Amino acid sequence: MPGQRVLCVAEKPAIARAVAQHLSGGSFQTIPIRGNQYVKNYVFDFNFGGPWGTCSVTMTSVIGHLTGLDFERQYKTWLSCPPAALFEAPVHESVAEDKVAIAKNIQEQARRCKALFIWTDCDREGEHIGTEIRKQAKEGNARILVKRARFSNTEKAHVLHAARTLIELDDLQANAVAARIELDLRIGAAFTRLQTLQLKPLSAALQDTIISYGSCQFPTLGFVVDRYLRVQNFKPETFWGIKVMHSRDDIKVNFLWKRVHLFDRAAVTVMLERCLLAKKAKVTKVSQKPTSKWRPLPLTTVDLQMMGSRYLRMDSQTIMKVAEGLYTKGFISYPRTETDQFDKGIDLKKLVEKQIPDGNWGQYARHLLDGGFKTPRAGRHNDQAHPPIHPICWVAPTALSVDEKKVYEFVVRRFLACCSEDAKGQSTEIEIQYGDEFFHAKGLLVLERNYLDVYVYDKWESSQQLPNFQMGELFEPTEAKIFDGKTTPPNYLTEPELIGLMDANGIGTDATMAEHIAKIKERQYVAVHSRGSGRNAVKELIPTRLGIALVEGYDDVFAGMPDSPSLSKPFLRKEMELRMREICAGMRTRQQVVQESLDMYREVFVHTQRRINKLKDACRKYLVDQAAS
Amino acid sequence: MTTPQSQIATHLQTTKSLAVSPTWLNSFLSSSTALQRNIPLSALTQTALFRILASDFRDSLTTNNPSSLLPIDIFDPTVQERRLPGPIPVQVLDIEDIGTSLWSQVEAIERVERGEAIRGREIVRTVNVGGEEGEEGAAGAGETGGAGASNGPHRLILQDAAGTRAVGIELVRVDGVAVNKLPIGAKMVLRNAMVARGMVLLTPECVTVLGGKIEGMDLAWKEGRKARLLERISGTGEGQM
Repeated sequence: MPGQRVLCVAEKPAIARAVAQHLSGGSFQTIPIRGNQYVKNYVFDFNFGGPWGTCSVTMTSVIGHLTGLDFERQYKTWLSCPPAALFEAPVHESVAEDKVAIAKNIQEQARRCKALFIWTDCDREGEHIGTEIRKQAKEGNARILVKRARFSNTEKAHVLHAARTLIELDDLQANAVAARIELDLRIGAAFTRLQTLQLKPLSAALQDTIISYGSCQFPTLGFVVDRYLRVQNFKPETFWGIKVMHSRDDIKVNFLWKRVHLFDRAAVTVMLERCLLAKKAKVTKVSQKPTSKWRPLPLTTVDLQMMGSRYLRMDSQTIMKVAEGLYTKGFISYPRTETDQFDKGIDLKKLVEKQIPDGNWGQYARHLLDGGFKTPRAGRHNDQAHPPIHPICWVAPTALSVDEKKVYEFVVRRFLACCSEDAKGQSTEIEIQYGDEFFHAKGLLVLERNYLDVYVYDKWESSQQLPNFQMGELFEPTEAKIFDGKTTPPNYLTEPELIGLMDANGIGTDATMAEHIAKIKERQYVAVHSRGSGRNAVKELIPTRLGIALVEGYDDVFAGMPDSPSLSKPFLRKEMELRMREICAGMRTRQQVVQESLDMYREVFVHTQRRINKLKDACRKYLVDQAAS
Repeated sequence: MTTPQSQIATHLQTTKSLAVSPTWLNSFLSSSTALQRNIPLSALTQTALFRILASDFRDSLTTNNPSSLLPIDIFDPTVQERRLPGPIPVQVLDIEDIGTSLWSQVEAIERVERGEAIRGREIVRTVNVGGEEGEEGAAGAGETGGAGASNGPHRLILQDAAGTRAVGIELVRVDGVAVNKLPIGAKMVLRNAMVARGMVLLTPECVTVLGGKIEGMDLAWKEGRKARLLERISGTGEGQM
């Protein structure tokens, strides 16, 4: 006989359905809600154990954030106020128009319930969405009790466990998100209005565009432009080196110069002459030692995006969408994670076992269980919220779309590789001294492929085998000569590299990087060009004229300032990101951080206004003068 | 009876291989009020050394002993090799990193100009995507840090007390020889150095870095460095034979 009524709310309809499925054991009633075709209420009984016991449950969901932050009406139009006023203008939070029905559903359900259990994703955004849900529920029923389920995948046992070990909502994380939302709104709107109003009149091409500013977008654009200019400005130079070749046992061994190459021809000529004068080379090192190629670390979001866009030929945003779909369907664990170490408690062998039915890697999985299994390497990151991305169950390929299949396969192969032995080989290195110079030759013999058998994305192959050389032996090399070459420019930035740069420079979170990249494409600050063709084609990011103009313009605006805090550089955003973490850690309050960050950006804003002509000049240069020529 | 002059001169000759010019020494001593006040000779010698290292060798050293000078025809490229017993005191007129392209040196200077060498302002510009992580012994041939020391080997222009110049190539890494570390006007002593095709082959065995610098020259060299690099880059573009 069910006792209390409980309301459960997930972040997305699919999660609500998956959780309802597991908690109810498959028998639940589905009730549509008025005003929204996607959100449903699922009604069933479930025993939460402990003080709750068997409850009558209504499981429903939101669709992402319920509320939005905006300026009050008198500040909303473009010319309503000077853009600088947006740093202080009053803002208010309200339920987004298209979410009203969902909010109402929560209020109504809460009225009849004793408790609210929040099932949003366990990350910062999820925590904030949780507080939005709580607010609506309290409006319906001020005395409702609130708990939160902690889960990182939708596998049945995991979900049941989460339901029986409820925790509290983390308001610190929610506050960090609230701070970020307010800062993004104010800073974004102020700069967007300023630059759009100022730059629009300069060119007909800008007539109908909004030149948006975002504190992540701009540094992201900055990386693309920086690389583009490095390629454009590059000056090739000639270098010279010494090549030594020796024939032995019908093998031509090429020895590489320790100095690789130098940029002074006369010096290299003298060095070569001294080699030749010495006549004989002496073997100074012969080493043969076991070597290994390490299996990969457990998979994080950044790695999934980087490797995915490199090996699966999909852009990072698509990969994340597909991965989220796989998570929602319960096939893989939560795909937004910074953790690259598996918790000791997780039963990895059981997860490996689930892959046995597969036609491609099933046999490999069996081999792991038959003794090949190795505990995965542990990386240095742990976000304390989610495990590394791993498969939850086996899925028949026929149940997946083409893209899903690719991402799922990558996640599984990566996981199996993590649980495998490193690849083993034998490396041979021979070093010789010839005159005053040192040269070396290396050989590799792969002995055991191990993880490489399943992780088809890594390459490690045996090289040419070296003939025998004795330590201390003297010999006259068959040939020694000078070679020359030219330095080449770096390549234009690719998406995986950009993600790596954003990560290394602290721009965005692993969860939002793909969105920022998509944003600068959508704004037409960068375009995607293909280099090469067919399977070897590489997609490169090239800034548009507007993109270059904005970065160069802002760099000029800040040129000569101490610390030159240009908006195209990552520092300002990085500092903001650090402060978000401080809120999460309870070291600072939301108000403190918002005030400090606004002060920092306000100063930058005032300076930009004062030197706006620099920005205009750059736009004229690229959009008017160059467009005409 | 030994005079302070001869004592200082002998000391600098035996410990540093520096043959101080009597004229220079006299003017040093007469300008130094220290003598009247009975400052210990050792302190006075230290001051003299310090001044010599900051001076131009052409003013402060004698040119009497040919074995402490570079041969006049040292640049002669037809001489395959010859050894200079020395010791020969020389000063550095120019230093460049021939292991690094001019353009990447320019880029490094620009990073410093943009303030990216300051701690907390560094920008990571290259990442290794799905690279060779985990392969033992994979050489990390990454970029060198913005303001860090140069890679080398280095090519130096050296000058002796008589004003003769020679090119020196850092054949084996010599401590203290690096762009931004070895100032212009820094002093060194060459002992038993090999010269091949007109280039002095510098190794730790034959080079003793004494330190010091010529302030004005060093400043001018630093200020003009980027412009010189850029000029040479545009030069090699067309000027190649």
